[in-house]
Amino acid sequence: MSGIIKMTTGLTGLAVANNPHHTLGILYSKILRTLQKMPEDAAYRKYTEEIINERANVLKANKDVDVVERQIGCGQIEEVIVQAENELILARKMLNWRPWEPLLKQPPIEQWTWPPAQSNPKH
Amino acid sequence: MSVLRRLIPVAARSTTLLNSLKKNAPRAFATEVTETPKETRPSFRKINQSSVDQLKDFGRYVAECLPKYIQKVQIAAGDELELLIVPEGVLPVLQFLKDHHSCQFSNLVDIAGMDVPSRTNRFEVIYNILSLRFNARIRVKTYTDELTPLESCNDIYKAANWYEREIWDMYGVFFSNHPDLRRILTDYGFEGHPFRKDFPLSGYVEVRYDDEKKRVVVEPLELAQEFRRFELSAPWEQFPNFRNAKPKETEEVKTEKSKK
Repeated sequence: MSGIIKMTTGLTGLAVANNPHHTLGILYSKILRTLQKMPEDAAYRKYTEEIINERANVLKANKDVDVVERQIGCGQIEEVIVQAENELILARKMLNWRPWEPLLKQPPIEQWTWPPAQSNPKH
Repeated sequence: MSVLRRLIPVAARSTTLLNSLKKNAPRAFATEVTETPKETRPSFRKINQSSVDQLKDFGRYVAECLPKYIQKVQIAAGDELELLIVPEGVLPVLQFLKDHHSCQFSNLVDIAGMDVPSRTNRFEVIYNILSLRFNARIRVKTYTDELTPLESCNDIYKAANWYEREIWDMYGVFFSNHPDLRRILTDYGFEGHPFRKDFPLSGYVEVRYDDEKKRVVVEPLELAQEFRRFELSAPWEQFPNFRNAKPKETEEVKTEKSKK
């Protein structure tokens, strides 16, 4: 905080974060721990780790919230916290869904063709 | 991170864009005048090729992250990204698109339905979603038949509640785990799903005020034969130039899966 205390985020329902470095640090370490449980070659794990590590490094390198916000470039620090919360929930759900597995089933033939075939092979 | 960078909205990167424009300004404007082929169709919307490339990259990114659910990625109508997914994957895909850092599609704009009776799975359900953060819209499509329920995405998008009721009312697609799946548009006691292709244009019942009973009565439809002739074709041709024009081809985006 650069001397001036932030009064509001200007966004309805989003309160000013008192200690964003602490909150974000916890959230990011939680996300990384969840990602550890996924297989090494899962694309979701790879990309998310990349994003989280980059943001965590920016967070570690700078004490000033303004600089952090500018370097992350994804809105105010409160919004960044919300994004991290969402990602954490998503990562935990992903452990159940296991989206890195191969395709569940192929679409029926003619399902995604347009214009559609006139006759149904079934009838 | 690269995809995220590419998707970062114009607002965030406008300074760098603006700087390069300023440097090259004389040259850029000079070439613009001489080299651009003359556009003969003044009212046609121009497609921004760089944003289409961004969308394609994004489509590949999502397909790589969720190979279990995404069957096909395509660009429709020139610049609209569509993800075609398996019906079981509605919740994971929408949750991913909403909550992942480089997606953030937090708004559900609409859920639409489509009925193609010649297909084995005759209904398509189409989710239009919007990312305010990255100023992007994409479309998620899935399919089902008359009996198979789809998962309700009411827990992910609160807006889905009424839209799913609408789909249920108009097409009869059942959404499991929906908190309140009732009819929403049709009248009390209405039977049938009016947007199905096999639903007759005139409906099944007619309503009139009965003077003896002093109330409105509902009766099975009785149309005199002369009212059954529907003249739907106009005597003149509205768009002769487009008589044989096909809609713009959808273009499949090659993903890791489709390469194999």
